[in-house]
Amino acid sequence: MITQDKIDGFIRKIPPSPKILKVTLMFLEKGELVKAAQIAKEDLALSAYLRVLVNKPIYGFKNQVNDISQIFGILGVARSQQAVYNYMITLLSPDKWKLFKLNKTSFENLQADLSANWHKILVYLNINDKDIGSSITLLPASVIVSEALFREHMDEVSLLRSVHAIDLNTILVRLCSIDLFDICEQISIKWEMSDNVALIIQASSGIKPTNDVTLNNLGKWMHLLLFYTLSKPNFIEAGLNDFIDFQIDYAQDVYDDFSKVMDL
Amino acid sequence: MRAVVKSGVGVFTPQGFLDGNSSSAFISMEDIEATIKLNADMILVSLKKVIFFNRNGLDAFVKMFAKIRTAHHTTVGFCDYDYKKFQAINKFYKNELNFCLFQSQEIASLFASSFKNQNKNILLFSPDKSQSAAMAIELHDNGHNPIIAQTQEEFNIKIKAQNAYDIIIKDTYLGQMGQKVATRVTGNAIIYSVSSFLDAEIGNTFNISYHNNSLNVGFRLFIFEAYKVVSMNVHALNFFSKLASSGAEYNATICFVGLTFEKTPLSFKETLEDSGIMFFNQMDDILKNKELLEDLGASSAANVKTKRVLNKVLVTELPNFINATVRTIEMMTNAKAVKQSVNINKIEILEKENKIASSIGFYGDIDGMIILIFPTGIAKKACELLIGEQTDDEEMILDTLAELVNIVGGKVKTLLYDEGVSVDITLPRTYQSIDALLEVAQEKKGVQVELSFNNDKFLFFLTR
Repeated sequence: MITQDKIDGFIRKIPPSPKILKVTLMFLEKGELVKAAQIAKEDLALSAYLRVLVNKPIYGFKNQVNDISQIFGILGVARSQQAVYNYMITLLSPDKWKLFKLNKTSFENLQADLSANWHKILVYLNINDKDIGSSITLLPASVIVSEALFREHMDEVSLLRSVHAIDLNTILVRLCSIDLFDICEQISIKWEMSDNVALIIQASSGIKPTNDVTLNNLGKWMHLLLFYTLSKPNFIEAGLNDFIDFQIDYAQDVYDDFSKVMDL
Repeated sequence: MRAVVKSGVGVFTPQGFLDGNSSSAFISMEDIEATIKLNADMILVSLKKVIFFNRNGLDAFVKMFAKIRTAHHTTVGFCDYDYKKFQAINKFYKNELNFCLFQSQEIASLFASSFKNQNKNILLFSPDKSQSAAMAIELHDNGHNPIIAQTQEEFNIKIKAQNAYDIIIKDTYLGQMGQKVATRVTGNAIIYSVSSFLDAEIGNTFNISYHNNSLNVGFRLFIFEAYKVVSMNVHALNFFSKLASSGAEYNATICFVGLTFEKTPLSFKETLEDSGIMFFNQMDDILKNKELLEDLGASSAANVKTKRVLNKVLVTELPNFINATVRTIEMMTNAKAVKQSVNINKIEILEKENKIASSIGFYGDIDGMIILIFPTGIAKKACELLIGEQTDDEEMILDTLAELVNIVGGKVKTLLYDEGVSVDITLPRTYQSIDALLEVAQEKKGVQVELSFNNDKFLFFLTR
């Protein structure tokens, strides 16, 4: 069904991060929001994406924000970096979704939901780290990778899952000894994201905890946040709820705090 | 969301958070109807991967449960929960618990109609005495040995006896059970369990498609276990007479075991006997009498009505059948298949050692049976994807093989549907040895295709 060659092909095709984005991220890294905004404006697609993203209801801004400098100013350095990475991830998404019932808008909604709630969690945990803030942006890449690898095998997957409770990640591991989150890590390496991003993402799979207690704890929060988000009707209907297995035991010990943050 | 159906139990597994908004997105009535069509007589929602639920979240399922139970006589409920979740459900539905709660899927399967592992020693406890009794009766009827702990203290003591019990049941509740006619297979006989009053409703609760396909697949002995039948009326009498007549062309035998005629007119017995139905007092009178079993046709599952030959429609669809099989095995083994030879003849298996087989029937616009013969190596490899590890456990391999054949059947159904041919598939059957398969299939003429997967020979046989 899926072979190592196909996975290698997918990884090979991941484009390097565009020059404008690299420079924007470099200025954001230095905390130079104005310069970053000036560069970002040159990429019309990035500018349009940022306008749509921050004006989604979950970001909670009362008035429409259109100017990129203003957007970066309101978001601050960490969340601006997060927004740029979110845009980079959309560059990998397909024009037309087949395996999941998603489109450009619903995928951006997924990114926005995850990012805004991740910000709430980091505020609660009193963590102010740009890289950790951006780590959430890589999580939806697992959805894109699933779509890319399994879209031509929908019937087989569907039949397989009608007789056996098995998620896409497990199918991939058993066929090729590599999982969705390993491929996400490859993306992070190619895009020169911080090592911690990859570690948190791997931990957020729920099946590969890391020895670093802090990062592992963040992995638990992220795992829980993912399933909190994927339990929303629009994402259930998109077929996202069971594309990976929810490891309830892994996330259990942060659940009480999580329910406080999310006001459950 | 699709359910996983195994041994007649369909389980939906939502993940994450269940509230009033999300529940109806997880499962629709169409999803449940589709599951019922896969011969599920128990529909459960697993709470194993649910970390949060509220009453509104469960209500959406409970409303669907009520509709399904009324329409299909299906057992419905929740499973796979811990004590905290069990308590929460009891609190939400204190006096209106009319669905079942099974602590695990394993426990649920003990109460399912299509169970297969009998004679389990089961320790059970419920603070509600009527519940303990109801569970014990159901378990006993299903061929198990239930032991009831009368108090929590007694349960705590008994549970310490290691290896004394195969399964321990607690935090379980039997709501209204389904009233479908339970079906199980013993050797080459099919046993249907019927109870209470038999009336016109038997036409709805008896799975006639399953029965017809069992005849097609080669079963000849059908036993109605009727110990708990109080009486039957003329509608049920007509039903059984017709069933006997329709089975006669296959030379099938229908027996009743344990049916008393205290409240049923004795003339009914004569009418049924005239239709060829036989009566016995005890199940062992049949199952432990080898000579009788042979006379009744259960020692061999050979299909007497095998004169059905391959027809043009079936041969036209052959590429679809092969395609479905090859793609499934390729998917499961990640190996490429090479077609080696095609013959139309009786099934021919030169080497019988280290091979296992399985079959699945289909019926509808066209009907027939697919038989797959696997070298044990390929079977093990194919099963690895589902099991996740290598195994030599024969029972597990056969079980998984049945799932695999189910996938092939499902794929055939889809491919045919795309061409406007509508079929349903039967439950899969597995054979531990080639000899067991040949008892059913050696006289059948069909298309035999030899395929090679990484130099291992694999055999596909399509027949009617």
